[in-house]
Amino acid sequence: MSGGAVYLDHAATTPTDPRVAAAMAACLAADGDFGNPSSANHDFGSRAHALVEHARAGVAAAAGADPAEVIWTSGATEANNMAIFGVAHHERSQGRHLVTARTEHRAVLDPCRELERRGWRVTYLVPARSGLIDPAAVADALRPDTVLVSIMHVNNEIGVVQDIAAFAAACAAHGTARLHVDAAQSLGKCDVDFGASGADLMSLSAHKAYGPKGVGALLVSRRHGVHIAPLLYGGSQERGLRAGTVATHQVVGMGTALGLLPTGGEANAERRRIAGLRERLWSGLQALGGVLRNGEDAHCVPQILNVSFEHVEGESLLAAIRPHLAVSSGSACASANREPSYVLRALGRDQRLAESSLRFSLGRSTSAADIDTAVHVVAGAVQRLRRIAGAAGWNAQASL
Amino acid sequence: MDYNEPTLRGFETALYTGELSGPGVGRGAAGSVAAGTWVQFDVQVSAGDTAQPRIETACIENARFRAYGCPHTIAAADWVCQRAAGRPAGAGLPESVESLQRRFEVPVPKMGRLLLIEDAWAAAVAELASRR
Repeated sequence: MSGGAVYLDHAATTPTDPRVAAAMAACLAADGDFGNPSSANHDFGSRAHALVEHARAGVAAAAGADPAEVIWTSGATEANNMAIFGVAHHERSQGRHLVTARTEHRAVLDPCRELERRGWRVTYLVPARSGLIDPAAVADALRPDTVLVSIMHVNNEIGVVQDIAAFAAACAAHGTARLHVDAAQSLGKCDVDFGASGADLMSLSAHKAYGPKGVGALLVSRRHGVHIAPLLYGGSQERGLRAGTVATHQVVGMGTALGLLPTGGEANAERRRIAGLRERLWSGLQALGGVLRNGEDAHCVPQILNVSFEHVEGESLLAAIRPHLAVSSGSACASANREPSYVLRALGRDQRLAESSLRFSLGRSTSAADIDTAVHVVAGAVQRLRRIAGAAGWNAQASL
Repeated sequence: MDYNEPTLRGFETALYTGELSGPGVGRGAAGSVAAGTWVQFDVQVSAGDTAQPRIETACIENARFRAYGCPHTIAAADWVCQRAAGRPAGAGLPESVESLQRRFEVPVPKMGRLLLIEDAWAAAVAELASRR
């Protein structure tokens, strides 16, 4: 709760765990480990270097990677840019064709469009209504000059989980196409095993998993012998792939946060708890009638529920719930880019339903009381707006 | 999007939603749900005025609206209804589009929604006149 509002926007960001904040603070002040991790000629630098490498090992362990495969970035957006531009430029003599999906995050789509402006060709795959990309479609899209396939693991809007291993198999069969996976939403929501996935590159974010904003990582497979061109020049940090002084406090924050994520049976228990809350939410909203679920339950992470409300104007819906509930909206006027959700449009929702969608994303602090409040608030807003619109056929007095 | 206080108040209370019926009621609408904004007004002139030969001079007694639209649209439509009572039906929108824009601080890209309110109001008065 913040200012009286229930926070159900964990897919946008999560609160930094206090233990993470404490570990970060210990790297900042004069009495802490503030040294430059590249300054190996004194103890200040050595201590910072040790912290950076400890964090690297923590991130690698959480993602099923080798520590040497972890390249620090400022977040998943930079990691996506590094992967896409890095492979495209390094492999440009091999080919200039990429494959991605219409439902990717803009941190993938915008670099692809920029490459198109520079002469590359990009194939944009269309998902099924469930949000899933057919692995056969990936295989069919591969051409002799394809150098990269970039498809996200967990979709940020609807939570659908893609079959990464199948995409990796298609790329392996092709021979030269690399597979990049945007896994910004994955850590803490589902199992992530970079090594076993068969992916060549994977983008990670800290702030979606109770870490700080401003830090992420790109995993670059050593076993697959992946090479990328750097985006930044000016130093040999991160094996020359990401010049610039490593922000010790940021990477320590990421390493600490990922180390605190539940694993094994504890993780499974938490996912079952969250799944139960999500179904409680869906059940409550369904009672309103005219509520459509975006994404296929069986293929989605339990933390995300995306729904569209028939005969409700999206901007008004968001304005009505805003004092009480923090969620994301597909409303055109509510979002920064002033366009209805292109992800929902790609899934076949019309513009009105895309605009009247709400994404509820649950987190470790979400309780049953929060869900009941959310149902009560959304139901009140939807019923009231339908009454104002006078939509025939709606039972505005439907009890919950 | 942030809204000013009059917009939030009008959107949250929306006292003049609904429909009217009777011989002195004219109904008009503009826009469409498919296009994102739809507004309907019911304008009622007093019973004595229904016998007047010119509806333009008849006195508005009551007004109600229905709307599928953003908070600016709902607040402005509600305000128009609130201001209507006692005004001549032929006097046009009870508050000009420009004044509504300033009152509710409607962003320029959304000005078209206020024009729909003006169109719906004019259609309601025209429908009332056409009955005579």
